[in-house]
Amino acid sequence: MDTQKLAAIERLLSRVEKPARYIGGEMNTQVKPRQSDTAAFAFCFPDTYEVAMSHLGMKILYDILNRQPDMLCERVMMPWHDMADHLRREDIPLFSLETRTALYDFDLVGFTLQYEMSFTNILEMLSLGGISLRGSERGQNEPIVIAGGPCAFNPEPLSPFIDCFVIGDAETAIVEVTGLVKQMRLAAAPRADILFALSQIEGCYVPSLYEATYHEDGTLKAFTPIREGVPATVRKRIEMDLDAASFPESIAVPYTEIVHDRIALEIMRGCTRGCRFCQAGMLYRPVRERSPEKLLALAEKLVAATGYEEISLSSLSSGDYGQLAELVRGLMERFAKDRVSVSLPSMRVDSLVKQTLEETRAVKKSGLTLAPEAATQRLRDVINKGVTEADILRSVSDAFQSGWSNVKLYFMIGLPTETDEDLEAFADMARLVTGAYFAVPKEQRAPGLRVTMSAATFVPKPVTPFQWAAQDTLPEIRRKQALLRTALRSVKGVQFNWHEPELSVLEACVARGDRRIGEVIYTAWQKGCRLDGWREHFKFDTWLEAFSACGLDPDFYAARERGRHEVLPWDFIDTGVTRQYLWLERERAMAGTVTPDCRDGCEGCGLRRFDGVCVP
Amino acid sequence: MKMIVMFSLKDRLKHIGHLDLMRAMQRALRRSGLPVCYSQGFNPHILLSFAAPLSVGMEGEREVMEVPLSEDVAPDTFTARLNDALPPLVRCLSARQVADDHPAAMAQLGAAQFEITPLESADMLLAAVPGFLAQESIPAMRKSKKGMVPVDLRPLIYNLRVKDGHLEALLALHPSGTCKPDLMMQALSSFAGLPTPAPYDIRRTALLTERFSPLEEA
Repeated sequence: MDTQKLAAIERLLSRVEKPARYIGGEMNTQVKPRQSDTAAFAFCFPDTYEVAMSHLGMKILYDILNRQPDMLCERVMMPWHDMADHLRREDIPLFSLETRTALYDFDLVGFTLQYEMSFTNILEMLSLGGISLRGSERGQNEPIVIAGGPCAFNPEPLSPFIDCFVIGDAETAIVEVTGLVKQMRLAAAPRADILFALSQIEGCYVPSLYEATYHEDGTLKAFTPIREGVPATVRKRIEMDLDAASFPESIAVPYTEIVHDRIALEIMRGCTRGCRFCQAGMLYRPVRERSPEKLLALAEKLVAATGYEEISLSSLSSGDYGQLAELVRGLMERFAKDRVSVSLPSMRVDSLVKQTLEETRAVKKSGLTLAPEAATQRLRDVINKGVTEADILRSVSDAFQSGWSNVKLYFMIGLPTETDEDLEAFADMARLVTGAYFAVPKEQRAPGLRVTMSAATFVPKPVTPFQWAAQDTLPEIRRKQALLRTALRSVKGVQFNWHEPELSVLEACVARGDRRIGEVIYTAWQKGCRLDGWREHFKFDTWLEAFSACGLDPDFYAARERGRHEVLPWDFIDTGVTRQYLWLERERAMAGTVTPDCRDGCEGCGLRRFDGVCVP
Repeated sequence: MKMIVMFSLKDRLKHIGHLDLMRAMQRALRRSGLPVCYSQGFNPHILLSFAAPLSVGMEGEREVMEVPLSEDVAPDTFTARLNDALPPLVRCLSARQVADDHPAAMAQLGAAQFEITPLESADMLLAAVPGFLAQESIPAMRKSKKGMVPVDLRPLIYNLRVKDGHLEALLALHPSGTCKPDLMMQALSSFAGLPTPAPYDIRRTALLTERFSPLEEA
């Protein structure tokens, strides 16, 4: 960027909210020199700095790319609205934190797709970054725009804007993709040739090489490659050996406070529980663990490199990690004297070990979080959340006896087959928890009981047994929320939180959207939608206008039950789990039949078709 | 014992807040492995105090902090190890070992020196300085816990002069009276006849005692 623009950025920083979001220069960030043959990769996170810097995947890929001698990776995040407006008004391109390089000056621009409601931010970032929004409009010298992450498992809504999606684990794939793009750009290969070459890499989906046709009723008729040699099915990438997979030994330490300001140690990938609403549980199969030895060595290096005072053990279901007790004990022994605490997020209620709890508390005290998801056993069986009331009671009793007084419980409303009785049972659940607290003698329990019950609205997701299900309509969700508020009013000491249902409805539209939803996202962005995940910026009415301008009906996407044989927009991606298995699980859900954890015996989800995975 | 530490903070890091700097310094001290002291309680933190918080947007040339230590460390060793652990834009310039009962730096603070570079209307501002200082009083409104209160800035501006196209200001920084540079610049802009306060770059170049000697030596 020229010196005038750089000076203008400096002046802007004195005028915007939280300028520390845009300064870079954090401890352990990398500024690598760029030679003509260096592949320059802009890692784009379509949300604010505080959210972006809390994300482990970005840290892993940033580290991997910067370890390659002929590659460099810099970070770009979604600016807050004030900064975005200033940049546009003063004609300053969106820039990287490390060297303030304009987004359009990179060889590759890669977005991570963590949440559907960040999709307008991708358009905003491309636009601010001086890159043509649509892949079809991009010129020869513009960057190749790629995307990955969980939302890439239904890439279709973003297909007009992304040149190539990378599906599945990206540790190895990102180096292959980056290397190939740079090599071909150096050889001045035409853009179309680069895209075709990318389509030949396993896990890569190049949307411009496929065509979708529709039935008269708007459902998908067929989805096929338009060119010979382009695979009809795209198979996800899997890193089988986590000990061998790259993990950073140092991570950036932000100056400003972020959402998760600690070391995240990924102990395991995947989950075998088979909760039927859970997309991550299906996408990240099979389960793979890092060894305690590897984790202790990584923790040692990360603590020394960062000075962080907290390590969190990260995975979909940390309680299921095979050697949890050994690992926690090892970390405690090593780090207690350095006052480094260990926390275990997303603990499943049935895997809480009282001893582990006590060890955790030995250094730092935080709240206990449980996710029963549904308040009755019947509904928990439908969603295959293998947790009983007795499990929950035991967990909270143990916690209260060990001196905890702060419990958060997460639920969903609008789950398939849910009735009003399932909702009224929230109050019983609340009384069960408060009762467990008061059952502990006063002198033994910590004062100040705080129970928070949060109810999210169920969003049916692709690649789950509920991918065919209808979401509740807005009026129905509002009625259920009101019913819950009334039911919980009678229980003392419980705080009830709920989410805005409009956001969940829109999330459902985009999550299971097809190619045509791309036009809705584009129109909504043009009408001023961005930062949709932030309550103060979310404009539901504008989104509805965008749907109608595109001639599409939100109910078609969110509130419609799909037929067993309907072609779904993401069917062409092979996640390992078969459609037949998902349908079988759906049938079991409707019958209220539970499916055991597949560690206790193969359920035939389909992953065994992949070589070398899922060793019993 | 404790260390009285002089450090600088410059460039992009001027945009971080006081609490951000506190956290960054604590983490650097943890990385350095120096024998720091921790607070008691459930969430122990490293004991550390800054003589005067630096405002967001301000670079600091000779900032002062105190770090209690549990073991003796030679000042040169302290400086070297802390610099190894600090981000490049924060530098430890010197350290001096004093006894635990040595008066706190914060308690000895009397004034601060600033270098201010106007980014617009510089000529008008610089030309207005003699007249500005010749005023008997410079009334302004200061934010306090009880809302806005009137304050006379004139006795709190110890010195203000033009030097190489910058302003060099020596301003009171004391419990009995403080002149914040932004208040002075507002008053100067308005005295110079500008409709809105002119934007400027600012650096705090020194922290001083009531007798105007360097705070890090006190």
